[in-house]
Amino acid sequence: MPGFDFSNHTRNAALHARGMPLPKATSTGTTIVGCIYDGGVVIAADTRATSGPIVADKNCEKLHYIAPQIWCAGAGTAADTEFTTSLISSSLELHSLSTGRKPRVVTCMTLLKQHLFRHQGHIGAYLVVAGVDPTGVHLFTVHAHGSTDKLPYVTMGSGSLAAMAIFETMWKKNLTREEAIELCSQAIQAGIFNDLGSGSNVDVCVITEEKATLMRNYLTPNERMPKEQSYKFARGTTAYLKEVVIEKKDLKKYVTIVDLAASGAAADSMEIDA
Amino acid sequence: MDDLIAKYSTPQDDFFDEDENSVHFQSTKPSLDLKFSLPPISQPTAFLRAATDDHANPECPIKIAHGTTTLAFRFQGGIIVATDSRATAGSWIASQTVKKVIEINDKMLGTMAGGAADCQYWLNYLGIECRLHELRHKRRISVAAASKILSNLVYSYKGMGLSMGTMMAGVTALEGPALYYIDSDGTRLSGNLFCVGSGQTFAYGVLDREYDYNLSVEDALALGSRSILAATHRDAYSGGSINLYHVKEEGWTKHGFTDTNPVFWKTKLEKGEFSNVATDF
Amino acid sequence: MSNPFSINGGAVVAMVGKDCVAIACDLRLGMQALTVSNDFPKIFNYGDVYLGLTGLATDVTTVSEMFRYKVNMYRLREERDIEPETMANLVSSSLYEKRFGPYFVSPVIAGINPHSQKPFVCGFDSIGCIDFAKDFIVSGTASDQLFGTCESLWEPDMEPEDLFETISQAMLNSVDRDALSGWGAHVYVITKDKVVKRLLKGRQD
Repeated sequence: MPGFDFSNHTRNAALHARGMPLPKATSTGTTIVGCIYDGGVVIAADTRATSGPIVADKNCEKLHYIAPQIWCAGAGTAADTEFTTSLISSSLELHSLSTGRKPRVVTCMTLLKQHLFRHQGHIGAYLVVAGVDPTGVHLFTVHAHGSTDKLPYVTMGSGSLAAMAIFETMWKKNLTREEAIELCSQAIQAGIFNDLGSGSNVDVCVITEEKATLMRNYLTPNERMPKEQSYKFARGTTAYLKEVVIEKKDLKKYVTIVDLAASGAAADSMEIDA
Repeated sequence: MDDLIAKYSTPQDDFFDEDENSVHFQSTKPSLDLKFSLPPISQPTAFLRAATDDHANPECPIKIAHGTTTLAFRFQGGIIVATDSRATAGSWIASQTVKKVIEINDKMLGTMAGGAADCQYWLNYLGIECRLHELRHKRRISVAAASKILSNLVYSYKGMGLSMGTMMAGVTALEGPALYYIDSDGTRLSGNLFCVGSGQTFAYGVLDREYDYNLSVEDALALGSRSILAATHRDAYSGGSINLYHVKEEGWTKHGFTDTNPVFWKTKLEKGEFSNVATDF
Repeated sequence: MSNPFSINGGAVVAMVGKDCVAIACDLRLGMQALTVSNDFPKIFNYGDVYLGLTGLATDVTTVSEMFRYKVNMYRLREERDIEPETMANLVSSSLYEKRFGPYFVSPVIAGINPHSQKPFVCGFDSIGCIDFAKDFIVSGTASDQLFGTCESLWEPDMEPEDLFETISQAMLNSVDRDALSGWGAHVYVITKDKVVKRLLKGRQD
C-alpha cells in the first residue's frame, strides 16, 4: 500500500516546538494558466522553480502527464505537485484498465480533490487540470484544501493576477487553436515579466480530441547570452594533496558485466505516451 | 529605567535648540557633544535586542559582526597582542581582513571583540580622551586610568545594547607592562593573560600550555601567533590573518598581518602538528 | 541557530562537462562554531552513481546507509548496477515517502549513464523534488556562494582536466566565504571508464 511514512514526524515536531524553522521546500512560485477553445483546451506554465529568494531551477517542467489526453499544470510545493499528479495518474491508469474506458477529466479532478482534502491542505499542490474525454473538453482548477472550479479560462500561482489581467482583457468566445495558444502564452509572459516568483520560458500543452501535444519551451524569451570570454583556469591551478585513479578495466578483474543484447536507454524506459 | 530614558531623550530634533544645550552631560560622561538619538519607544534596549540578536532570531533585521579570537599576555619583554581578522554576519564571512587591534595612540593598543562598530567608535573616543589627558596634565595617561575611562563609560550605557569585549595594553614607566580586560557588562580586570571572543577557549588551550612570564621576545611572539592559529582552525567564526603586536615602553611595534593559510600548512607539514588534518584518503 | 540544515555545515557541488561529470564536497563536520572533524566526506558511491549529501550530519549518515541498502537490494533483484536516472527516482520517492517528517538533507547526484554514456547530474530538496540541470547543482550552507561561483565559472563542454579546475575553484572560493563549511575538499572527476578522486589543499580556518 503506497502512502506516507510518518516515522520522523514525532522527532521533527519536537524540534519544531523548540523553535526550529521548517525546511525550505522547492516551490514553483509560479504562473500557470488554462483556456478552452473550440475543439480543445490549452494549458501553459512558466519554468522557474524557487527556494526562498534563490532561483533553484531555471527550466523546470510544470506540465505533468496524467493520461494520454489529460494533462495538469502544477503550482505550490514542487514535490507535492510532482507526486500528487503521478499518484493520480497511476490510479487513473489502473481505473481505465479495469473499466476498459478512456479516463475522464472529472474522474481525475475528483480523485485529486479527494486526495488533497483528505490531507487538509498539508499537501501544497495547486493544480490546473485539463483534458478531452468522451464527454467533451474540460478545464478545472484544484486547490490544496480540496476546492475546485470549472471555468473557460483559469490562472493559478503567484503570477495568477498578472495572467488573469491578460485573460480579462483579451479573452473572447470561440477562440481558434492558434488564438488560444497565443492568449495563454501572453498570459504566462505577463507572469514571467511582472511576477518575481515566475520566470524563464513558456511551456504549452494543447489537448484535442485526437491527441495531446506538449510544446516544451514553446517560447524562450529569456535566453542567456553565451559568455564572450572564458574564465577557464590554467590546468594545475588547484593544489591537491592526494590523488587516486580508479579505472573500470581494473574493476572488471573482479566483476563480470554482461550487457543485454537489445539494451540501450530506450529499451529500458517505460512507454507513457502513444 | 528604560521608560525614563525614553521619556527624557527625544530623537534629535534641532528645532528646539535652547532646550538641548541645557541638558549637557557632566564630567565622567563624554565631555564632547555625544548625544545618541534613541528610538521614541518605551523600551529602546529591548527593541535593539530584538533587532540585533541573531542568536535568538536568525532573521533579525540588523546583523552585527561577531565572532573573533583576540589574546594578549604580559611577559618580561612587554606585552604581546594578537588577533585573527575574520568578520561574520551569521554564517556569511563578511571580511577576512578586519583590523581587530586598535591603535589608541603610539604607546597603547586596544583589541576588538563583539560589536565592531562599538569597539571602533569607543576606542577612538578613548584615544581622544587620552590625548586630552596628555595636554591637560603634560604627561602620558596610565593604562589603569585609560581603561577606567572606558569601563566607566560602557558602564553608563549598561543594558542598552553595547557589545564589546576589549583588552587594553600599554607599557608605562609607572606601571611597567599593564594589561586590562574591559567588557560591555562593565567588568574591568587587570591580569597577565587574557583571551576574548568565540575562539577564546582554543587560544587559552595553547597559551596556558606554553605560557611563562620569562619567555623570550621571539618565543612570546611565536606563542601568540600559534594560539591564534589554533583558534582559527577550530572556531568557525575566527580566521583570516594573524595580526601580531609587541608593546614595549618605547611604544608598540607591529609584527605582521599574516595570512593563516601558509602558516597553517608550514606548521602542519614541517613541524608535524595538526595531525587531525588528513593529507590522505 | 537551531536550523538543522546549518548545525553541522557542509557543501556539495556537481558539474557537467564534455562526456564527463564532477562532484565535490567539503570535509567539515561542526557543531555550531566548533569544528569537530576535518574528515567527514559527504559523497557516497553506489556503483556508477555518486551521491552527495549535505544537511544534518546524523541524517547524512542515515540516508547514505539507507541508499546503500536500497541499491544493494536493487542489485540483487535486477542483477545489474543502478543507473543514475533510476537512482534519481529512487532518491526522490524515498524522500517524498517522508513528506511529513523529512530527513534534513539536500542530496545531489552525479554519474555517467553506463548505456548511453550521457553525463547526468541532478539535485533534490529535502522532500524529493528533483532539479534536473544541464549545467551544475549546488547544495549546503555555502549554496548561495556556490550559485555565484558556478554561474560565472561554468561553461559548456569542458574536458575532464578543465572541469576539475573549475569545480575545485568554485568549491574552494565558495567555502572560503562560509564559516560553516570548508576545511579541505574531495573532488571526483568521472569519465566513462575512469574516476579520478583528489583531496584538495584548502584553507584550514
